[in-house]
Amino acid sequence: MIDKERIRLLEERARQTRRDIVEMVYRTGDGHPSPSMSAADIITTLYFDLLNIDPARPDWEGRDRFVLSKGHACPALYSALARKGYFPPEELLTLRFMDSHLQGHPYAPKTLGLDATTGSLGNGVSVGLGMALAARIKKLDYRVYVVTGDGELGEGLIWEAAMCAGHQKASNLTVFVDNNNYQSGGTVGDVTGVYPIEDKWRSFGWNTLSIDGHDFSQILEATENAKSVTDRPTAIVAKTVKGKGVSFMIGDNSWHKRVYTAEEYAQAMRELGGEQ
Amino acid sequence: MSAEMVSTRIGFRDGLVALAEKRDDIVFVSTDSLKVVKGEPFLQRWPDRVIEVGIAEANGVALSAGLASAGLRPYLCTYAGFLTMRACEQMRTFVAYPRMKVRFVGVNAGVFGGNREGVSHQFIEDIGILRSIPGFTILCPADGDQAKQAVLASVDIEGPVYIRIGSGREERVFPDGTPFEIGKIRVMKEYGSDVALFCHGFVTNRVLKAAEELSRAGIGATVVEAHTIKPLDVEGVSAVLARCGCAVSVEDHNIFGGLGSAIAEVIAESQPAVLARLGLQDRYGESGYSDQLLDKYGMSVQAIAEAARAVISKKR
Repeated sequence: MIDKERIRLLEERARQTRRDIVEMVYRTGDGHPSPSMSAADIITTLYFDLLNIDPARPDWEGRDRFVLSKGHACPALYSALARKGYFPPEELLTLRFMDSHLQGHPYAPKTLGLDATTGSLGNGVSVGLGMALAARIKKLDYRVYVVTGDGELGEGLIWEAAMCAGHQKASNLTVFVDNNNYQSGGTVGDVTGVYPIEDKWRSFGWNTLSIDGHDFSQILEATENAKSVTDRPTAIVAKTVKGKGVSFMIGDNSWHKRVYTAEEYAQAMRELGGEQ
Repeated sequence: MSAEMVSTRIGFRDGLVALAEKRDDIVFVSTDSLKVVKGEPFLQRWPDRVIEVGIAEANGVALSAGLASAGLRPYLCTYAGFLTMRACEQMRTFVAYPRMKVRFVGVNAGVFGGNREGVSHQFIEDIGILRSIPGFTILCPADGDQAKQAVLASVDIEGPVYIRIGSGREERVFPDGTPFEIGKIRVMKEYGSDVALFCHGFVTNRVLKAAEELSRAGIGATVVEAHTIKPLDVEGVSAVLARCGCAVSVEDHNIFGGLGSAIAEVIAESQPAVLARLGLQDRYGESGYSDQLLDKYGMSVQAIAEAARAVISKKR
């Protein structure tokens, strides 16, 4: 049974993550808001509960790693890094502007605390697998977490990496599939035909779980399960809602990449319990 | 006298073994390519430092980026074109852009390297592709021991490195142990300064023969091996061009994008000279024996000598 206070803190943190996403997109006039919202609870849980990291030592070799394969959701990740203390939160409002350390898609050499360069879809599982195998070679006990989209499961490289990780029994690798059911052009079922997702990972030798990606207890329990499995990597297919947290974004895929008007901004912030 | 063969593939393998004897961060990443370079001795000694990903080049490259980000020094060796074309984006976005120290070794380079396999396995575009990606160091050793020396010299270079090797049937050009000085051209012969002959890789032996032939005919050539295509030794190349006033580039690569293009850039920007580019004339090769292919596709000793005469006649 997971402690209620632990969940309450995560809920509070996740509202902050979502407010930051809205602020970043509204103030800087660019970015992908609704794919950031669907991954916000998973990313928040990783950074504020699960990851063994230390903002004072961003290069510590024994730290857990996080790879955001769906790099366009980086407003959620940048918020987590800032609120965790890697850089001042006011710098979030430099997103996608020249000379900012916050690139439109994650670029590790520039952003403190960022473990992987991503943005081109379909690559994050391979990169994360490399990090996971490095732990084995260097006899370190860190874990690697990857968040992929569901649309990017159309990339063949995801399945090259899935086969390889299963074969290598990379049990320190956990992949969350942010299954918000949408990609740029429509639902993933219509555009790509990715379903059934769980069976695919399972057939490549992964421990496979299905959860509600907005239920913190389920996210925590699934990662505990992943840690207990020592002969396989784990894929957690997280059912999520694109735009989760802001009513008018849900069910409207134009929010994949769209900027809030002043009124929309005000409403979004109200719904997320923030000031306007 | 028949020429001595020293395999660039074995040279790579021996270089990697020598590195792994001294350092514990060396990792051999194989895309079912370990046997291609006779890597079994490495596997036997360091089974934990071999990662076999199977026939999956893009995965091999992106995974190597992950290894390098955790402080390891991966060497990924496989067919030059499967790397630079199939996994090109991974080489760019996940390795070169974040300046990862991943080392790539491309086998079967050129028609010489791919020979009887045919065009699918003859790679004449790799240098051009990688020259256009910021941050790559591109090394083209001329023979087996030079491949070993290039591997030894590559280990601590900042950012990614590409080492271009062949089929394993390369003629010896340099004595064993000749150091590989990254970023510097090497003047191999100086019969005179009538013409400069620039080259790299497994045609260097032919260029030396052409220079000798020209010398017998009273024409003094300077033979320059440019094993580091990027960063090119612009100063060294300019100095040779200034002395000779005309040049021929010879390489087993398309004439677009390789050493010939790089020399043309130096000529256009800093040291005017007449240039002829020998190599694949923007066309594909075919199956055949290595030496016959080089002859047919314009890189015979005679073609090199003729091109030299032609550029000399155009000198003002």
